[in-house]
Amino acid sequence: MCGIIGVFDSAGVRVPRVTFLSALSLLRQRGPDDSGTWSDNNIILGHRRLAIVDLSPSGHQPMESPDGRYAIVFNGEIYNHADLRPELSASHHWRGTSDTETLLAAYRRWGVHCLDRINGMFAFAIWDRHERTLFVARDRMGVKPLYYFESNGRFGFASRPAPLMRLLSDGTLGIDPEALRVYFELGYIPAPLSFHRGIRKLSAAHYLLINAAGVRNVRYWDFRPIGPDPSMSARPEAELVEELDSLIRSAVKDRLMSDVPLGAFLSGGIDSSLVVAAMKAVGVVDPKAFTIGFHEKAYDESSAAREVAKHLGVDHIDETLDVDSLLGLMPEYVEQFDEPFADSSAFPTMAVARLARKHVTVSLSGDGADEIFGGYHYFGLMNNLSRITRLRPKTKKLVRALLTVMPFHRAKLLAGAVNASDVVSLFHYLRGVGKDYPAIVDQDIMRSTPSSDTWFEQYAASFAVDLTAAETGMRLDAGFTLPDFFLQKVDVATMAFSLEARCPFTDYRLVEWAMRLPVSHKIRGRETKYLLKKVLCKYLPSPLVYRPKRGFSVPIAQWLRGPLREWARERIYDDRLMSQVPLNKDLVRELLHQQLTGKRESHPLIWSVLMLLCFVQRHQASALQTRPVDLEVA
Amino acid sequence: MSGAPATRHLLLLFTEVFANGGIQRFNRTFIEACRDQGVCCTVLSLNDTEDSIARNPSLPNITVIGFTGNRSAFAWAAFNHIFWHRYDWLVVGHINFLTLAVAVLKIAIFHRTPAMMIAHGIEVWSDIHKRRGLALSQLQRLLCVSRYTRQRILDQAPHLDPGRLRVFPNALAEVWRNVPAPPVSDVLPERFILSVTRLDAGDRYKGIVTTIEALEMLADKAMKYVIVGHGNDVAFLKLVVARCRLQDRVLFLRGLSDAQLINLYRTCAAFVLPSGKEGFGIVYLEAMYFDAPVIAAGEKGALDVIRDGETGLLVRFGDSIGVKNAIERITSDLPLRARLRARGHALVEEGGPFTFSKFVQRFADAIELPN
Repeated sequence: MCGIIGVFDSAGVRVPRVTFLSALSLLRQRGPDDSGTWSDNNIILGHRRLAIVDLSPSGHQPMESPDGRYAIVFNGEIYNHADLRPELSASHHWRGTSDTETLLAAYRRWGVHCLDRINGMFAFAIWDRHERTLFVARDRMGVKPLYYFESNGRFGFASRPAPLMRLLSDGTLGIDPEALRVYFELGYIPAPLSFHRGIRKLSAAHYLLINAAGVRNVRYWDFRPIGPDPSMSARPEAELVEELDSLIRSAVKDRLMSDVPLGAFLSGGIDSSLVVAAMKAVGVVDPKAFTIGFHEKAYDESSAAREVAKHLGVDHIDETLDVDSLLGLMPEYVEQFDEPFADSSAFPTMAVARLARKHVTVSLSGDGADEIFGGYHYFGLMNNLSRITRLRPKTKKLVRALLTVMPFHRAKLLAGAVNASDVVSLFHYLRGVGKDYPAIVDQDIMRSTPSSDTWFEQYAASFAVDLTAAETGMRLDAGFTLPDFFLQKVDVATMAFSLEARCPFTDYRLVEWAMRLPVSHKIRGRETKYLLKKVLCKYLPSPLVYRPKRGFSVPIAQWLRGPLREWARERIYDDRLMSQVPLNKDLVRELLHQQLTGKRESHPLIWSVLMLLCFVQRHQASALQTRPVDLEVA
Repeated sequence: MSGAPATRHLLLLFTEVFANGGIQRFNRTFIEACRDQGVCCTVLSLNDTEDSIARNPSLPNITVIGFTGNRSAFAWAAFNHIFWHRYDWLVVGHINFLTLAVAVLKIAIFHRTPAMMIAHGIEVWSDIHKRRGLALSQLQRLLCVSRYTRQRILDQAPHLDPGRLRVFPNALAEVWRNVPAPPVSDVLPERFILSVTRLDAGDRYKGIVTTIEALEMLADKAMKYVIVGHGNDVAFLKLVVARCRLQDRVLFLRGLSDAQLINLYRTCAAFVLPSGKEGFGIVYLEAMYFDAPVIAAGEKGALDVIRDGETGLLVRFGDSIGVKNAIERITSDLPLRARLRARGHALVEEGGPFTFSKFVQRFADAIELPN
């Protein structure tokens, strides 16, 4: 896991070296072990290294091919690189054992089709001196991030937006209005949008080819057309359990490739327990498992994790915190997220990353299983509610009116779902975080920008035919929520402490298999992750498997009424700060007042506003050190 | 009912005749077959208007009555025709009319009119519940436009006698053969791909978004995309086009004359409609007739028309990478392109399975016309 950066200029105009080095320095935490730069006439590449595989200097980056034609900067891991080496040996003389060198040799041999051969998490760029073409790619499920900009024949990329903002000195930077709206709808900003006008996120499973003629954006892998395979329904369940177990073990085994100490996050839930169980099953001796517990019982899962660890016989390292002590992570939270990010579960993720980093450099994580194996309760709800979307408009109106007058919060939420015209908009409604956001966002932005459900609709237009509502929801989550919300959070939270996270459930073979698995093996009645639990039953007794699911949530509502009260008021009542964001400040203040006085619960929306303000504040501070930046909306 | 003497007299209950769309084209071809065989028929068309009927030339022995979407008037007229008159065949053109038609036939005790239904596609692929299944069992014939449609009906209503379900594909309408054709260019045509389809939000399964995404990925930046059609989804499709930064490469056209459409078919690099739910896909036949190599999704009714690598290229539905690769193959592999054009064309040339004369044979067989 590293940080990469580069700038290509078709006219050969060079970035001042001092500016480039300054931008590169912003990637320091992603790669504390080494750094390097490389340049040619039209291009400059930079790299910060967190040494995991091949700790010797032969793994140094940027790396040139032996003939000097290619140069690479690479962030991530290629898990099958050792398998590829024999095939590449005929045309390549190996200088070291790093996967970077293997990737470079694979590109020399297969060109862009090297992406079909490699299995891993990655974001990388390869410069071809002969063709004067830059090849930039991101892994299939979007585990590793990559941001870029194109402007006047110049193309820049980096592992996070902050260095690009430093490189862009033409004063064109600002908030992307569509991203702002989407942020308030979803709590995160899905690719290809980024919060910064002019900067985009490379979508998962895409590559770019950049040369003097322009930029070509190509998808190289896609799970969307894969539909449920009816023949799997006909197979005995035990056979499917064995096959899935084998795939999980294989994905975990691949992710053990490391020359540094390695462990796993263990929450005590299905996914992380399965990852740790698989580590043991493939022969890891005394794997270290890390858990954060809380003194407050309502948030604490550490006893479950302890039981799992004890049963599996792993070296369990836990730390028990006061929930309020997570607030101590606020500076890192604000500093590390280069785009506003409204999910408070980043706090415990940072805490467990900080704990793990004291013992290991790499940690496996269970992220990704919920999205592909049906772990969220709303998938089942979608199946039930999808019938409502097919009602005639008049009937819908009647149902909505009835639900609205009922004195239950859930009935009111359901009334909103009745508005959905199809399964995709139903998903958008259920997944949205700030259902009241339209009132507080500048009305010009609301009128001039499309809602994020149009991104969902575009994405879903290529889904396999005849999917159930739940399957549609899972695919939308796997395409949006997983890469740009959960994996983004894991990447930023772990990189903040120079820890590499690896997610076996994002292995593309496992994802393809899961897409073929009929929904009846994922959701059965009220039970989620049906088949995954059956696999875990091979390793753990049933009572440890069939326990209520508990998320990684923190008490934002209580924090706002308690320790964060003044902190929140200071920001929301700061006229200068509020004038920097296109929000209706009176309404925001009224929402905060109602929250603080307990009249209304709007903490997701208020938290979103606060994270936005923190971002703007930090951006202003950073801008003061470098150059003036236009924060006005386009 | 027309008074002209004829060997057979049919009552047709159709949704619409004089509009674009696969079902409408099938209905027109069916009426053409009646005319061709001298069969007298009365057509009750739910959605046609007096204007739309008047704009089209009248045919001997064919009476078309439009109801402008008025369901009650249509139902009442259907009741009267079925109840009071004996026809040689009642042809139900849509499953939504089936229950009414069968119920009236049941109480029309003075005569026994045999009935058949045309099963087009998506409307019968699901929701054949018990009542509809029972109504289907009262029919003497069930004309299914594709093998897939036939199988889906049997899957849902296994009690039906398979012998009553016939595969009855559509055919290229004769009208296309009579449109003055523009000259064909010998060289590789100007580079654009073509789709001709309805553009409603409910029709996202047509694969237009997938094709736009494929266009974005093509190395050939001069390749354009012409989309012919209209509907309530055009604004959304334009948003997708803008997001892919393809505003200068995608052209939306509507209201074209037949000659203009033929010109597009003849000069496109490929006809691309990777649709996931075509009941049959008459538009593929039209493209083939005018020598456009076809790219489709290997789903449902399209499989009756397109054999991969022979009469077209098949991709998975939703597979933008597959569509991109197929476009690149068709534009770079000239022998393949020539083969697809020749074999596709052969399907709709005399002797091919999807010609009007074959349709007429199937029609005559279905209504038991004497040889």
